Amino acid sequence: MSTSTATPPATGASTDPTNVIVETRNLGKIYRDFWGRKKVHALKSLDIEVRRGEIFGLLGPNGSGKSTTIKLMLGLLFPTSGRAFVFGKDATDVSKNERIGYLPEESYLYKFLNAEETLDFYGRLFDMPAEVRRERTEQLIQMVGLQRARRRQLKEYSKGMTRRIGLAQALINEPEFLVLDEPTTGLDPIGTREMKDLILRLREQGKTILMCSHQLADVQDVCDRVAILHQGDLKELGRVQDLLKVQDVTEIHARGLDEKTKQEIKDLIARSNGELLQMDNPTTTMEELFLDIVRESEQRPGRRGGAS
Amino acid sequence: MRLTPEQFWTYSEWLFDNWGLLTGLLLVIVLAVIGFLVGFVVSMIKRGPGEGFLHVAKIIRELFAVDLPKTSVRRVYAIASLAVKEAIRKKILVVVAVFVIAIMFAGWYLDPKSDNPAQLYISFVMFWTNILMLILGLFVSCFSLPADIKSRTIYTIVTKPVRATELFFGRVFGFVAVGTIILLMLGSMSYLFVVRGLNHTHEIEELAPNGISGSTTTERFHQHSFSIEENGTGATNVVKGHRHEVLKQGDKIVLGPPVDDLTARVPVYGRLRFTGRDGEESEGYNVGYMSEYQKYIEGDTLSSAIWKFKDVRPGSSDQTALNYDITLSAFRTYKGDIVTPVGGVVVFRSTDGTVESERFSFKVKEFQIDQRSIPLKLKGFRNGEPTDLDFFKDIAPDGSFEIMVRCLDRNQYLGMAAADVYLRRDTKSFWQNFVKGYISIWLQMVIVICFGVMFSCFLSGQVALIATVSFLVLGFFGSFVDNVLSKKIEGGGPIESLIKIPLGASATIDLDLGSPVLENVIRSSDRGLLTCVKTLKDAIPNFNQLGTSDFVAYGVDLSSGLLARHLTICFGYFLMTSLISYFFLKTREMAA
Repeated sequence: MSTSTATPPATGASTDPTNVIVETRNLGKIYRDFWGRKKVHALKSLDIEVRRGEIFGLLGPNGSGKSTTIKLMLGLLFPTSGRAFVFGKDATDVSKNERIGYLPEESYLYKFLNAEETLDFYGRLFDMPAEVRRERTEQLIQMVGLQRARRRQLKEYSKGMTRRIGLAQALINEPEFLVLDEPTTGLDPIGTREMKDLILRLREQGKTILMCSHQLADVQDVCDRVAILHQGDLKELGRVQDLLKVQDVTEIHARGLDEKTKQEIKDLIARSNGELLQMDNPTTTMEELFLDIVRESEQRPGRRGGAS
Repeated sequence: MRLTPEQFWTYSEWLFDNWGLLTGLLLVIVLAVIGFLVGFVVSMIKRGPGEGFLHVAKIIRELFAVDLPKTSVRRVYAIASLAVKEAIRKKILVVVAVFVIAIMFAGWYLDPKSDNPAQLYISFVMFWTNILMLILGLFVSCFSLPADIKSRTIYTIVTKPVRATELFFGRVFGFVAVGTIILLMLGSMSYLFVVRGLNHTHEIEELAPNGISGSTTTERFHQHSFSIEENGTGATNVVKGHRHEVLKQGDKIVLGPPVDDLTARVPVYGRLRFTGRDGEESEGYNVGYMSEYQKYIEGDTLSSAIWKFKDVRPGSSDQTALNYDITLSAFRTYKGDIVTPVGGVVVFRSTDGTVESERFSFKVKEFQIDQRSIPLKLKGFRNGEPTDLDFFKDIAPDGSFEIMVRCLDRNQYLGMAAADVYLRRDTKSFWQNFVKGYISIWLQMVIVICFGVMFSCFLSGQVALIATVSFLVLGFFGSFVDNVLSKKIEGGGPIESLIKIPLGASATIDLDLGSPVLENVIRSSDRGLLTCVKTLKDAIPNFNQLGTSDFVAYGVDLSSGLLARHLTICFGYFLMTSLISYFFLKTREMAA
């Protein structure tokens, strides 16, 4: 059963109907076997909108229908029921692809091509003239940091490098709408942070992004709105901040309190009939810790004192 | 080499007079209707009748209104060049290596004592080139798209503004480009192999006391005799399909390289009719051979074969002879003197029969082209009176004349078909004919690639390969189905044969299971199956007819009409496979 939640516009997004990039109406997909018998009901009556300028996240466990939804939006699958529209056109209309960039779950690229050839090839598919292709290829290779590996065949690339060239091919046509399937898969923490920063930068440039990911922290960090799917049903849809907010719990962050003041706060909570759930020093995230260590190591190479 | 009458139709004769255009159009209409119906049924199952019909109609509309007009040359080129890169980086050039090895060791299995080494060499290189190119076409075309779908690389293609037409054209053009590059390499190597392999000369071994005739040394298992004219030039006799020009330079006699072995004769064909043993009009005799290609005339009777030629004019003012070739076969009703070939005579006569040449006798050279000529100033008869004749003034004043062939030996027969006697009007360069022969191979490869890509649009790689191989087998051996249906080949259809094998029943005996009803059911099922296969066979190209290596090997010019016809057939199949592929690509879920 789908749930369509009215939500306020995200940063940079608009509720103006003309600014709806993706719209699904009662979208459903049933996978059948060779004899036409029903195998899996992968998606059930999905109604969502992705609005211009937002980062929209699709969340859910394996088999929840995330990839099916993306494939239906891209015309890689045909719906069993309902319809999907991208830029107001039917999802099976090839012309919509002019304005779309797609980074698949794994970078399904031709391994016998090198980075330059790959970008040139995909540039040709957008009917781009040679001069524009050269310029764009150069920009993207710089952007994803593959200058040194530009002439190596992709079969020699590491997973992270493959992901980066995959992203570059998705951006070759300067798309208005980017579909990113598990964009941080295979990336190390630095690569993950760079990818997230890049996604945010792309939003700042006015692009609309639809991403699905298993990395909940990544979704939380970058998405404006999310849809949570489970067993083909839409379970939740809304702004990330709204969905994560715990209404009956108050969070206070303070610096420089002595033990006496902390005790007074505890007493105050008790007097107000509140329940103290936790009062402790906060911990940083593992990602922050790792990035701090790497940054420090780059500034001061050598073994870190006190490390065990 | 056996030429059939349809091989020397002109392009317009084939297209308009012999139903080529009509057959092609009919095929397109039938396939379009079948395609629409199949598409409709498939769509109806998924969507119901109304929406199914609309869906198929939408695809047809999109093809002509959107996808074809908006097909981008740049995208087609991108996909084609990707196919080329893919093929080359996947070591497709190994085909060239296989060919190099084959011709490096050719000397081991090519008979150096062959009667006509040129035919042997040319047949050898063209056969191997043909086989390798068809295999190459088969493999590159069947596996590429399924591999992309399996590895999901196709996701990054079809999520770009790439149309189904571009996917098909790009792949076909790319694979054709790969094939063309390899065919050029094989063709160049083949040409060098043939030309250099056949090149040789002889020294003078024996000179007659008159100093103008003699014999040469033995080279490559043959020697020649020669004679020299007063002007110091001469020629050897023809041995192993070639001769040498001879030049006297002072006291020295020099022989040139072989000539006439690598040639391209331009034939002029006539219409054939027969007369029976009493001179009456006849259809020729059937001596009981299975082939209906040839008819026979009976020896030492008035039975004759008469070819009528039209519009034959003198080639140039200094032409002194009329060249003609005959390729007849003999059928002996008694063994007799087996060493001496069956003999016959040739007479040239006017179409009204009042003027005829003297008789030119010959001995049948079976399985060889007997190259002959008559002088234009010749002896003959006018109204039965001996006289001197000028060929183009007396026998063929309006360009029309007849050639009559009779067999001389009693109770022996000579067999012939329309293409077995022809005038050799001109001789064209061998290398041009060689190139035309390779164009024929190229066309076959293109058809295989079109079918391979078409099957790969909706089948997995291995299944597409099996489907394309089946289509090739049917294209090469389709006449077998005709012969089984017309009962020229005994043993019955597939089910009957399958039953007969374990029973150990003879192929020549009718099926006997003790139940006439069951036997009739089996025969009817066989007929139904064979009719289906025959219909399919008639819809796919006949590769035997598309093969023209015999023309090159036997030194007959491959007419541009025949080549244009093959080109048209190839283009027709390209269109047909394009349409079918388009439909499947439009209706296929790439991520399913």
